[in-house]
Formats: sequence, structure tokens, C-alpha cells
Amino acid sequence: MGGAERSARKRRQNQTTGTVKTSPAAKSSPVAAARKSGGNRNPMIVGALVVVIIAAAVIGGVIYTNSKKSATEGAAIAVKSVDLSLPVTREGAVVVVGKSSAKATIDVYEDFLCPACRAFEDSYSGQIESKLNDGTLKVRYHMLNMLNDRSDPAGYSTDSANAALLAADEGKFLAFHKSLFGSQPEEGARGWTKDQLIDLGRSLGLTSQTFADGVRSGTYDKQISDAFQQVRGTDYLQQEYNGQKAFGTPTLAANNKIIDTSDPNWLTALTG
Amino acid sequence: MTKGTVLDLVGTLFRLGLAGVWLVSGWLKASDPNQTYIAVQAYDVLPGGLVSVTAAAMPFLELALGVLLVVGLGTRLTALLSVVVLLAFIAAVAQSWARGLSIDCGCFGGGGPVAEGDTRYPEEIARDIGFLVLAVWLAVRPRTRLALDGRFTRTAGAA
Repeated sequence: MGGAERSARKRRQNQTTGTVKTSPAAKSSPVAAARKSGGNRNPMIVGALVVVIIAAAVIGGVIYTNSKKSATEGAAIAVKSVDLSLPVTREGAVVVVGKSSAKATIDVYEDFLCPACRAFEDSYSGQIESKLNDGTLKVRYHMLNMLNDRSDPAGYSTDSANAALLAADEGKFLAFHKSLFGSQPEEGARGWTKDQLIDLGRSLGLTSQTFADGVRSGTYDKQISDAFQQVRGTDYLQQEYNGQKAFGTPTLAANNKIIDTSDPNWLTALTG
Repeated sequence: MTKGTVLDLVGTLFRLGLAGVWLVSGWLKASDPNQTYIAVQAYDVLPGGLVSVTAAAMPFLELALGVLLVVGLGTRLTALLSVVVLLAFIAAVAQSWARGLSIDCGCFGGGGPVAEGDTRYPEEIARDIGFLVLAVWLAVRPRTRLALDGRFTRTAGAA
């Protein structure tokens, strides 16, 4: 209301001062200038400020997140050795460890990225190793790529399983397996790269070109994926998760039946 | 109280409410970036490289929107961006539902694949539509109390 009145008065004033001077007079008045541009300039400034704040937050956030998720970058997989001399053979995507005369054979289904598998290894690898050593147990390790999409970038499950199979070809499976679970990357974070897997192999004495080339080219990738598809569709390997049957890792089986590892004596029950 | 005052107060509540939503959801996502990556991955929409960037950027976009709404700076623009982001979220959940994926939306942290019977798509979409109402209100009528915008518009308002 007031604004309209004032501008009407201004128009009249301008008319009285003459037509020639009309526009310079309107521009030179600081009040009129502020009124004229204030409504236009402020939203522009605010808009720019909003865009800058959002851009800064997003760019800073991406940099911060990437640094937080890249714990494995520039690091090395800690070498863990296993002092057992046991027969190790690879049958397709399965690694068989232990003496053929062993009384019991178990099938272990794992993914190198799976935290529950790591927990299982932490709890039972000592017992398993001693049973392997005294010749009462044989283990068939199925290294699967169930969580292949869960590393950033994707692919760690397959790369690590492939490298472990190549390590098995040269008799170093147990140490490779133990080292990878000992330095497990987090789900959703950066995994270990192929080069880092090759470096671990080299530290364990896997210096052959076959090993390095095999890790890079993914010699057993397809066999691992096929094995996972087969395992996932195997009836007796399904377990209850929240009331529904599904396959998960780790799963342990003997004689085509799942082993209930919630019983702490499951291993002695098998080997006697 | 005039009608304008009442609408201002409603707008203020909506602005602070939407700010709270963004701040909480952004904070929960930003504090667990690995889980956020898994949550974004589970929607199975974006190609590999974009999943990583999206999962890293989204929590901080939400936090920025939350901070801007708390202080009431650029309320209309921030509300419009909120509308866009919420529509994208609703579309993402809807496509998971339509395709029969079994995932948790990860709207407030968490996320990723869940068992078939554990999906909550209708609830998740309804919740987002609720937030969308707040954002649309503020985009249409950004005038609120206790906002930095008031300092900028007072000079302009005199004209």
C-alpha cells in the first residue's frame, strides 16, 4: 500500500522535474535503488549461498567418506603362517585339506568378506588345525563369492576366492586362508586389490608367474560363481534365517547334513 | 491471531520438523558409510561406480538440507530440493517393491537385503509421503518464524 503510494508520488515528482532527467533522477536516489534491486538481489544471494553450502557439504562429505572407507589402501595383508605339512588338493572350486585316512570329513562354506565366517575361524581354526594335524579330520573348503557386491568397488569375494584356489595349487592354501581372515576388510568398504593379494602370495613364497597372472586374469572366477549357484540351490545346505530357509555363510556340513556349530563340542562329536 | 500468523507458525513447525528428519537420517547414514553403501547397492539401480559416489554424497546432502532448514536460509529452494530428493527416494523404494526385491530402504541408517517377509515398502513410502507434505508446504509458502530468510526479506519487503 505504502509502496504504491510512494511510487505514485515519485512518478509525479519526476513529471514535475521534467522528462529529460526522469531516469537519472530515479537511479541516483539511494532509497529508490535499494528498493528497486533489494527484492531481486537478496534471493539471488541466498540461492547462491544455499548452492555453495550444499556443494561444500557434499564434496567434503565424499572426500571424508572415501578416506574413511579406504583403510586397506597402501596397507599390506598381514602374513599368517600355518606350520602343517598336509596334503592339499584342489577339486574344481573346492580345496581339500587333510590326510585321506581321516575318520571324518567336513565341508566348510565360506566367503572371505563374511564377518560371521571370520568369527567362525577365530573360534575354531585352532581346533580344526590340530585335528587336521593328527590325521582325524579332512576339510573340504568351499570358498564362495556370495558377498561379491558388498565391497566397494565390488569384486573382492571373487578375487580373494580365486587367489586362494591358486594358492592351493601351490600348496599354500591354509596360510593364505588364515591371512585373509586375519586381515578381513569391512563389508561396504574397499577390499584388498589383486595386487595386494599377489603381494600376500609373494610373502608366503608364491612367487610363480602362474599365481600372479592367475590372480589378475581370474582363472577360477567362473568355477567359483558356478559353485556358488550350485551350493545355493542345494536343499540340505539351507538354514533357517528369521523363519525362512536360505543359504548363508558360514555353513558347515558333514555326510550331507548341516553341522550345528552352536554346540561347542561339534568337532569332537565328529572325530571322536 | 490472524490467519497469516497461524500459517507462519505451522510453517515454522514444518520447517523444523523436516530439518530434524534430514539431520537424523543424514547423521545415521554418514556415521556408517559402509552400511550406507550396502543400502544403496541393494536398490540395484545404479551402475557400480555411481553407487559409491551416491552413497558417500547422500548423507551429506541430507545434513546440508537439515542445517539450512534449521536456520531457515533459502527455505523455498531448500524445500524444493527436499521435494526432489524425497521423490527420488519414493521412486527408489517403489521400484524395489515393483521388482520384488527384498530390501530395507535404509532411510534412517541400516538398509540392504532382508528376508522376503521382512520388507516394509508401504510403510516406508507412506512415511516419505508424510515428509513430502512438509517439503511441499514450505516450497509453496516458505514464510516462517525464527528464520534467517526474515532478515533478507525485511529490506525487500519494505519496497
